[in-house]
Amino acid sequence: MGNVLSILFCLSLFYVSITSRVKGYVTVLQIQGVLLSLIIVIPFIYPFSIYGIILPATLLLVKVFLIPRYINKIILDLDIRRVIDPTIQQFSFLLLVIATMVVIFVVSNILSQSTELNVIPFASGFSAIVIGIYIIMFRRKLIVHVAGFLILENGIFLFGTAVASELPMMIELGTLLDVFVVVFLMGIAINKISTTLDGFDVTALGRLKD
Amino acid sequence: MDIEILQGPIAIFVIIGIAPLFAGFINKQKAILTGRIGAPVLQPYYDLLRLFRKETINAKSSSFISQISPLINFIVIIVAAAMLPIGYWKPLISFNGDIILFAYTLGLARFFQILAAMDIGSSFEGMGASREATFALFAEPIFFFTLGSVAFISGLTSIYDIYHSIRLDNISYIVFIIICSISAFILAITECSRMPVDDPNTHLELTMIHEVMILDNSGFDLFLYLYSSYIKLFIYAILEISFFYPFSAKSYLLGIVIFIVGSIILSLTLAIVETITSRFKMKNIPQYLLFATAIGILNLLIYTFTK
Repeated sequence: MGNVLSILFCLSLFYVSITSRVKGYVTVLQIQGVLLSLIIVIPFIYPFSIYGIILPATLLLVKVFLIPRYINKIILDLDIRRVIDPTIQQFSFLLLVIATMVVIFVVSNILSQSTELNVIPFASGFSAIVIGIYIIMFRRKLIVHVAGFLILENGIFLFGTAVASELPMMIELGTLLDVFVVVFLMGIAINKISTTLDGFDVTALGRLKD
Repeated sequence: MDIEILQGPIAIFVIIGIAPLFAGFINKQKAILTGRIGAPVLQPYYDLLRLFRKETINAKSSSFISQISPLINFIVIIVAAAMLPIGYWKPLISFNGDIILFAYTLGLARFFQILAAMDIGSSFEGMGASREATFALFAEPIFFFTLGSVAFISGLTSIYDIYHSIRLDNISYIVFIIICSISAFILAITECSRMPVDDPNTHLELTMIHEVMILDNSGFDLFLYLYSSYIKLFIYAILEISFFYPFSAKSYLLGIVIFIVGSIILSLTLAIVETITSRFKMKNIPQYLLFATAIGILNLLIYTFTK
């Protein structure tokens, strides 16, 4: 079942690499949040333990409700245009994503021969990390960078579940808090940038001179 | 007389006979969804009959290519249709490796259509031919990665065997089938020039792909083109529906039921998609098609690396 959810996670990565709407990114973040919570909750359903439910529930709250709602609020408040500004064509971006995914699946298959790991969640998490970095590299809008960072973080989460079935809960909660704070700070930064520079295009930051 | 021998011919007659009805059914549903009464479900048959009676006029600048192309197109499409299973009926043409023949008979049909479009000498047709060739280039990998990945997993190369080798005992296999049917759906939309890729109803030459290529054909030639496009739509519909035959538990009757119910559901899906989406910009179509290919590649990756 974890494999199936990981495959859906990969599909959401494909979608995020061709969509040209900022809204699409937010939707994908929500879908990924649901998928991750499901992946984490599955081992705890059959002997049922209340301890195991806390983390998925928190994850669901933060990743599906709080963060997307906050990003939506920023989009509304700052009147950000609906389309993302890619620096390369979407078509080439998708090609790059496919090539990366093929390489990652091959590499993780090789790794799985020497160590104990579940190939599909491992490779999906790994791909999400790399694709998150690609999104940060090849998009111009700061809000999309935040989405890229969150996809990267989702990847790390999935990666963690593939390597060790159970991480200590405090660590997991700690990473969640981390993400929330980072998104919060980015929101403040975007607000500041937009009021100071009258826009939020990161290329403008490079042109600043004293 | 042995019923087994008759299955192939009956299947092909069913496909040829029902194909216009399927198109008419989609149009009717589309009309209802947009709040119109719409043309009758049998309208495609009336259109075909009208065109059948009319005289063919060829452009002065056209050569023999324009004359033979509609017929070749029609025959080749029928040959492709003869390779498809209906339920558990064995198709007329079925041998090891017919998946390749299937892809290339459809390729041949497209080749002659493009050639005929350029033969007429109008710049509009040339533009349509160029677009058709470009998008065909991106659509071909979808076919090979979706059907090819099922073939790769089962180790079989005949369309009939491939579809009936699908096992349902594994949950990830079911997901795999669903993912395959998504990319098969995108393939059907592209190849049959349906809504997000091409608008079958527009008559503005600059926006069309498929329709613009047959702009200068008339009478019997247009009849052949139109009929083969109906059959082609039904061929891709069957490609999609066939993914769900394994649910029939190897019963002939249930196979037919799945075929009928599948056609109805698919036509409804097509009608809904065409109602709620608008046509893509031309430059966005390649990435849409690459998305379907990416799904196929993902399938292949998953089944290579999980044993």
